Amino acid sequence: MENQTALLKKLKDLVGEAHISTHKADLLPYMRDSYTNLMNREAALPDCVLMPRSTEEIQQIVLLANEYKVPVYPRSFGVNIAGSAIPYQGGIVLDLKAMNQIFEVNEDTLTATIEPGVCWGQLRKAARKKAMDIIPIIGPYQTSPVGNYLLTNITAYSSRYSMDRAVTLEVVLPNGEILRTGSQATEIGAEVNPYFRYSYGPDLTGLFRGSMGNYGIITKMVIRLRPLAEVEKNLYFAFKELKPALKAIQRIERLEISRTVMLQNKHFTVHCLLSPEDLKDPAAKEEALRSLPDFVLAVGIGGKARQAALYEEMLGEEIRSSGGETLSLPDAFKQSLDEVQEGAGQKILRMFAPFSGYAAVIGCVPITSAENVYRRVQEIVAKFDLKDSITDDPLQHELLVVPYDRCSSVYVEQELLYDPLDIDNMEKVKACLRECYKVIVTEYGAVHTIPNRRLLERVVPGYAAILRGIKTMVDPNGILLPGGPYSI
Amino acid sequence: MLADYKEDIYHCLKCGACRTAFQAYTPICPSGFQYGFDSYYAIGRVDLARAVLEDRLAIDAEVMRRIYSCTSCGGCDEQCNPAVGISPLRIIEAFKHQAIEKGLIPPEVRDFLKGLQVHGNPYLEPSDERGRWAEGTPLESYSDQDYLFYVGCVGSYDERGQGLARTVGELLQSGGLSFGILGNREICDGNEANRVGERGLFEFLATHNIELFRELGIRKVVALSPHGFHAMKNDYAKWDAGFEVAHYTQILQAQVRKGSLRPRNRLEVKATFHDPCFLGRHNAEFEAPRFLLKSIPGLELIEMDRNRRNSFCCGGGGGNFFTDMIGSGVRSPSRVRVREAVDTGAEVLAVACPNCRNMLEDAVKAEGLEDRLQVRDVAHLLAQAVGVRDRGHP
Repeated sequence: MENQTALLKKLKDLVGEAHISTHKADLLPYMRDSYTNLMNREAALPDCVLMPRSTEEIQQIVLLANEYKVPVYPRSFGVNIAGSAIPYQGGIVLDLKAMNQIFEVNEDTLTATIEPGVCWGQLRKAARKKAMDIIPIIGPYQTSPVGNYLLTNITAYSSRYSMDRAVTLEVVLPNGEILRTGSQATEIGAEVNPYFRYSYGPDLTGLFRGSMGNYGIITKMVIRLRPLAEVEKNLYFAFKELKPALKAIQRIERLEISRTVMLQNKHFTVHCLLSPEDLKDPAAKEEALRSLPDFVLAVGIGGKARQAALYEEMLGEEIRSSGGETLSLPDAFKQSLDEVQEGAGQKILRMFAPFSGYAAVIGCVPITSAENVYRRVQEIVAKFDLKDSITDDPLQHELLVVPYDRCSSVYVEQELLYDPLDIDNMEKVKACLRECYKVIVTEYGAVHTIPNRRLLERVVPGYAAILRGIKTMVDPNGILLPGGPYSI
Repeated sequence: MLADYKEDIYHCLKCGACRTAFQAYTPICPSGFQYGFDSYYAIGRVDLARAVLEDRLAIDAEVMRRIYSCTSCGGCDEQCNPAVGISPLRIIEAFKHQAIEKGLIPPEVRDFLKGLQVHGNPYLEPSDERGRWAEGTPLESYSDQDYLFYVGCVGSYDERGQGLARTVGELLQSGGLSFGILGNREICDGNEANRVGERGLFEFLATHNIELFRELGIRKVVALSPHGFHAMKNDYAKWDAGFEVAHYTQILQAQVRKGSLRPRNRLEVKATFHDPCFLGRHNAEFEAPRFLLKSIPGLELIEMDRNRRNSFCCGGGGGNFFTDMIGSGVRSPSRVRVREAVDTGAEVLAVACPNCRNMLEDAVKAEGLEDRLQVRDVAHLLAQAVGVRDRGHP
């Protein structure tokens, strides 16, 4: 208790009274998210929440946490639905959303330099002022490039720009040291050239991608942008079956003209189109589903007007020869899908509507396996007898498929929706989710990011040992994010 | 009570959409922006509601400071509802109601309600002075005119509000509207009592007004404040109010349209408009005040980034105009808003609400921007353009 009082006093002196709270009412909201609800994971009440304003403050906080052996749980813009930033062992919550500066939007390097509290929407707005845009991501506007995209590995779906947008980073390591990656590593590099990722040997920026925050607190990130084209357009194509739609993705990727590619089943599409209220109405949902093809392939293109016209024509040819056809949509529906397709939209949140309970099964596999993964998950969902929370009919889960890097792999995300108030069904969802991941790992050999710690240890012990070794080196006292499902 | 909203509370995704305006991509929650911690945003308040339901948190005055700093602006609903389908504001207002029922409210809220209960107005002024604002004006008492001009507590007792009430009255009269006022017979509309969760007092005030209006045969009301307009238009419906209500900008818009008010005098000025939450977001009236501004020769209307549905509250809603639970300082919403207005290059920040006007005018002084920005109600600008004597603005 004495120690705690001393620590809190030092923290208050450091960040100022307005930026620290120990009141229970200020601490409780950081203790729960959709993941902890589903998994019945309990967090401990933190000692305090801090809102630091600078890298230097964070460094001092981390040094104090080491001195007092207190855990630290940072969160960037504070959108947390995967259980990754919950204070499982109490301690200090670092709320970084006040660190929301965009230091630079650089037209010459097509990059921006941002703090962790910047959200995608804010970055898009700044970029568009200079005729640039974010590289599309699957995620709503209020998620964070640092926390949600880089650390938890939110997927980008742009074959043209490959999957990784991070260039260089400034990181406060859990031992209190500051690491700058890539060409930021030297003082002069940080000042005049933070734009090259692969300086000085192995790619340390990559160490943080998908790390779930285990290795440090990112305080600055140089991130890629893209130029806005004269014409930007999303095209939608209908397929009756999955196989030809997947084939079409391969053919489109070989043309190397698409900005984004996303395949979705109609259960995903209908969620993007209908309001949460309408999704609760079985008749409205049924009617919308009847009007939709089984699979919608969305392709974003851009360029000069002549270029775009030619791309559109070429895509149409590929689609037709793959067995698909152009999809005409009412304007309002098209606007909703455009918003999803362009990334950082609002309506993508509807994929979890109307009850916000969801469990995501995510795997990255060769495109030739995507259909099998979908069918296997369908079988498992049927086996566990999951129900639609509105109609009580068998659950029809959402599917979306996104090619990575010219189809070397595809990202397959499947959403199992449930009502968090329906405890029995939720238990079944949990069991189903476990089995789905078992299949993804043992039959298809890939998950998307650091899985549950136990799974990591069991399936890839050698890999786990290396990750642990790095963790021990940078976090000797184990102060950063201990006790969570993704803790290394 | 919170239990009535259990489904919404448990269906919160915790996605944080409630914090940021979609498309404007800027902070939308005034109290969250002011204090920073999640407990001052809808995302945290809904979680606190859940903790109360699960007996993990006891309501007390200190907890309720997080809830009462909510200005009921509806910015969170605007982001959450189309995407996630929840109304965080309904939960927050049920939270306030539950605290009122248990008597566990901060002293600022208690004092505000006590004043309202004892004096019938939050200014603690005698009710027989309510009608003094109209002294010296040619405005008539209501007898059997087409409309009642209802000015509310701010219009009746606040000096700047009184000026606005007089100007609007004269404009309506110049435009040929048949209307009367209630003077000392007018009582509070109850909107702020309702917003802080004192539903019993609100019911008393609302039903009293409804009965009085019925007795006098009032079928149409034109309201000075968007707050009273909102209560009468939406919340009085519960008791079959039986009268129509309009905001004064809507009536003036009709008068300008039909030519009974003609803005002829040029005002060479750049103006931006601040949407009052209870006119805009809560009642979808965005265009009437803009129409009036655009009708003024020489006036150039510039929009702030946060406008219409994504407007940023001045901080005066949800009882905060009187209780000031949202607090002051450089991050207070009114000061943020006037800085935003100045950034557009506007010289005038136009408003259509007496509460917004006071909040923003005080913020201009606090920011030391008096030389760069004037806060003026649309009615004052219109009066100048029409050539009506403006009794409300120096």
